[in-house]
Amino acid sequence: MPLEPALSLTNVTVDIAGKAYVRDVSVKVPRGEIHGLLGPNGAGKTTLLRCLYRAAEAATGQIQAQGKEITDYTHQEWAKTVGALVQSSGLLAGLTPRDVVEIGLSVLDLPANEYATRCDEALSLVGLADKQHQSASALSGGELQRCYFAQLLACDPDIYVLDEPTNHLDLHYQLVLLDEVKRRGRTALLTIHDLNLAVRYCDRVYLMSEGEIVEQGAALDVLTRDNLIRHYAVDGQFVGKALELAGPILGQLDQLKNG
Amino acid sequence: MSAAAIAGVLWGTADISWSDRLAILMQREDAPRGLSLIVWQWRVPRVIAVALIGAGLALAGALMQTALRNPMADPYLMGLSSGASAAAVAAIIWLPSYLTELFGVPLIAFAGAALAFLMTLGLSQRRGKAMDPLVVILAGVAVSLMFQSLTAFFLYVGDPHATRNAIGWLMGTAAGTEWSEIPLLAVAVVLIAILFMAKSNALDATLLGEERAQALGVRTNRIRMVIFFATVLLTGLAVSVAGIVGFVGLIVPHMARLLVGARHHVLLPMTMALGATVLIAVDLLCRTLLAPEELPLGVLLALFAAPPFILILRGLRRAA
Repeated sequence: MPLEPALSLTNVTVDIAGKAYVRDVSVKVPRGEIHGLLGPNGAGKTTLLRCLYRAAEAATGQIQAQGKEITDYTHQEWAKTVGALVQSSGLLAGLTPRDVVEIGLSVLDLPANEYATRCDEALSLVGLADKQHQSASALSGGELQRCYFAQLLACDPDIYVLDEPTNHLDLHYQLVLLDEVKRRGRTALLTIHDLNLAVRYCDRVYLMSEGEIVEQGAALDVLTRDNLIRHYAVDGQFVGKALELAGPILGQLDQLKNG
Repeated sequence: MSAAAIAGVLWGTADISWSDRLAILMQREDAPRGLSLIVWQWRVPRVIAVALIGAGLALAGALMQTALRNPMADPYLMGLSSGASAAAVAAIIWLPSYLTELFGVPLIAFAGAALAFLMTLGLSQRRGKAMDPLVVILAGVAVSLMFQSLTAFFLYVGDPHATRNAIGWLMGTAAGTEWSEIPLLAVAVVLIAILFMAKSNALDATLLGEERAQALGVRTNRIRMVIFFATVLLTGLAVSVAGIVGFVGLIVPHMARLLVGARHHVLLPMTMALGATVLIAVDLLCRTLLAPEELPLGVLLALFAAPPFILILRGLRRAA
């Protein structure tokens, strides 16, 4: 039997209020690989991920995890299999970082005897062990992002869905946390704006533009000078594994796209 | 809470000696008949009703704050109480009494509260964006004012006899609460509390944000609908028994959060206990401060609630 992908999206289209934000997108992530969705703002990356944590529904197409249709899972079972780090603001008054991690574990009904150890490990991994009983509403943006990362790491699903996981994080924690996902050997699909990190962590990337995948392959093959100009409106190129930027391209983008 | 309840039964407008108080409570044969009647027919049901209303409104406030992730959410501020009372007054004045009796004032008040809630939410909705907590409050104030002027209008144009009934009802003291009003309120408060205690994990997740809760497998739309229905029900019932009682739903959950944190399995019981205690205490003050006159519950509450209300508002501004 051929190895089926851990996460598979087939011809997925997502409509919001009649407008197609994602058109006919197919992505297959084999077990243990990290794949990245790249592209400029408004390309449909987050909209696609929203389907994976059930904040949106695909109008057409198939979404499968571990070979099973999303619609055959209950919401809770799906969340146990596919965990997500998302952008969303809450009302944190009266909660501590430890509460945030525990809430993830308790909603998913994970083994009660492991609660404490899982919380401790995750919080120290993200460097919040000493702040775990302080007020979560007093955390900085980066600390809060680490706190939610800790929640996901404590739940440790088979498949990680990460929407801009490095948001607000300093360089140290960008590397620490993405290294941890890779070290655990989990399957992951993420969106990321930092192309250097995409090259470093992604086994495969998909370049999206206006709701469609326009290029895919190994990161260095996709992120050519031509594609950077065409889709990011940036003049730059990879030298080795590092992006060298000449500067933004102003004004003539439409001619470039047509030409 | 039990101390407040006992005090509420023991003290009141009628002067009863200590030995008689004891005798009445023990239901001894030698207890004075008239005073016994006062305690058992007036004070005890009143204290129970006030406790249930306090617990219910505080619970409604805590749930609304969670559902909307808005620290200012409250059945009174969002216009529910005004909607409920306008509907009830309209029914008392305009509807033939057999119809009012058929539906019951609680049901009519419930419908009014629901209408007001929908209007507030409708006014504060912005396409595709999260609701701004302050805009929600302003919308609630607008809706509330509208229903209050409607109420005044109904009272002005209504038939004087019916109007007097309505005013008596509107004054909103818990005085004259009868045993028969208690079971419906008690059942609603207890059932709703049990329901949400069972869902406390999902409520916790809701606090973290719409999409974070969804990512944890919580069906946020469904739970929000249940919360809205429950808060409207609690408010409608509370208003139909005791008139408009503001601010309990706003302030008490914040007090509880300071004491035990925001996790719902501890927050909800603490909120309800505090709500009951606060309202019994305030009701006791209302009865005794100007005895034999009685103050409406709302008057003293607003007085006590103003300073913490302003603190919460300032906190909100700082967070924004």
